[in-house]
Amino acid sequence: MRHGLAFLGWAGRYVWSGWAGAAGLFCIAAAWQAGHEAYGSFILPSPLETVREMGKLAGDAGFRRAALETAERAAAGFALSVLIGTSAGIAAGYSFAAMRLMRPIVTVILGVPPIAWIVLALIWFGASGGTAIMTVVVASLPISFAGGLEGVATRDRSLDAMARSFGAGSWMRLRTVTAPHLVSYLFPAWITTAGSAWKVTVMAELLSNAGGLGGDLASARALFDIPRVTAIVLVVVAFALITEYVLIQPLRDRLEQWRQAGLPWGVKR
Amino acid sequence: MRLELDRIGHAFLGRAVFENLSLSLGQSEVVALVGPSGCGKTTVLQIAAGLVDPLRGRVRRGYRCHAVVFQEPRLLPWMTARDNIAYGLAAGGTSRAVRHAIAERRAAEVGLHARDLDKYPAELSGGMRQRAAVARALAVDPEIVFFDEPFTAVDVGLRRVLQDLVIEASGRDGFSALFVTHDLSEAVRLAHRVIVLSGRQEGILAERRLDGPPGSRDDRAVFELVQDWTRDPAFADLFDGSRDAA
Repeated sequence: MRHGLAFLGWAGRYVWSGWAGAAGLFCIAAAWQAGHEAYGSFILPSPLETVREMGKLAGDAGFRRAALETAERAAAGFALSVLIGTSAGIAAGYSFAAMRLMRPIVTVILGVPPIAWIVLALIWFGASGGTAIMTVVVASLPISFAGGLEGVATRDRSLDAMARSFGAGSWMRLRTVTAPHLVSYLFPAWITTAGSAWKVTVMAELLSNAGGLGGDLASARALFDIPRVTAIVLVVVAFALITEYVLIQPLRDRLEQWRQAGLPWGVKR
Repeated sequence: MRLELDRIGHAFLGRAVFENLSLSLGQSEVVALVGPSGCGKTTVLQIAAGLVDPLRGRVRRGYRCHAVVFQEPRLLPWMTARDNIAYGLAAGGTSRAVRHAIAERRAAEVGLHARDLDKYPAELSGGMRQRAAVARALAVDPEIVFFDEPFTAVDVGLRRVLQDLVIEASGRDGFSALFVTHDLSEAVRLAHRVIVLSGRQEGILAERRLDGPPGSRDDRAVFELVQDWTRDPAFADLFDGSRDAA
């Protein structure tokens, strides 16, 4: 009962904090409207036109299928890169040898432009979802890797010694000493990964002609259907916002409640 | 014999900290290890507690369970005081309900209020954090407790309260303790036996057995004994501030 009430209080606070975020979004919309009024509908359709176009698109079964396809690819790419990047990063953080070995590899991966990966993936996978997924994985893997690596390398060794003095095994130490510290390194990395997963997926789809929202964007461009282009962009942005503020941030907020406890009055958000 | 250090030696980066140091700890005996900063007291304690492997010598243990109280509280900031106190029990695989009940009992023993147990360490005062650290050590029912200058960061009044708490707990639970400190009067208040470690890698300089159980000495007796020892050449290292930092 008490826990239920505490949860409701937290959820209410989280949803209420959305107003500030909405205010920021409306500022962007206002600037957009100003741009529209200066350059006209052909260059930059107004936010209202775009939202109307979005409504039309939402009723289109073909578009819904394309959006779902893109979502699946972005989610698969995100899951794979987070899983591989984080676990490799954690392993590298524990072992100096692995760290020295893996750091240059990561720099090499970072140095290859994503567009080159798309060309390679096109040759390997053809015009399919595999191209988009592989590009997402390769482009965002280093971020999770660096997060996991830094998190483990900067863990508090005195707390680790405390845990060892009580006979805690390595799994328990990872769970209770390292993991909570790691969270503050991993979440920024995961949020960046989620954002770039959407972007890179659409880009790869557009270039590889593999359907999805990127495919739709390509055909809208060919038809000079500018409102449709901005509507698709808005859909992708909305997806990215939902991933961050509905899926990832609440989880982070729950896991990092102890940080709130230490803040003095007046600083609590 | 609960614990025996047999001619241990240790060095950091080739520089010897101590050599051929032997020390033993009996049943329910509290031994205070005093010495100037940098003389290796903490290293001796870490070797005894198994946190550091000695370069030379052997450690013989005649017990199953120990606990360490560190200089800093070392509470996990992401756990409530209750879970922190129960941490050692969780590491030992005790069920949640049982370890919380034990944590509550131990918290009451060290003077922590039940309503503070749901707080995170950041919300507790320094003294309360150190109390929680003591409760966490006692919660595992240790046969031996290692104290590493645990009360240096708390004020004089609270230090007395915490010392009394340790004296009472060791009398009640019968654990042995190795108490590292640089405060002679603290050593005299709490211990059965005081060992002085040299600041110049000369090992143990002096060993004094104190009369009567800890807690039986009043302030006057403690003061007079410490005054007496100030004139003793064996304790000179402790009072010589001009000595090169080891």
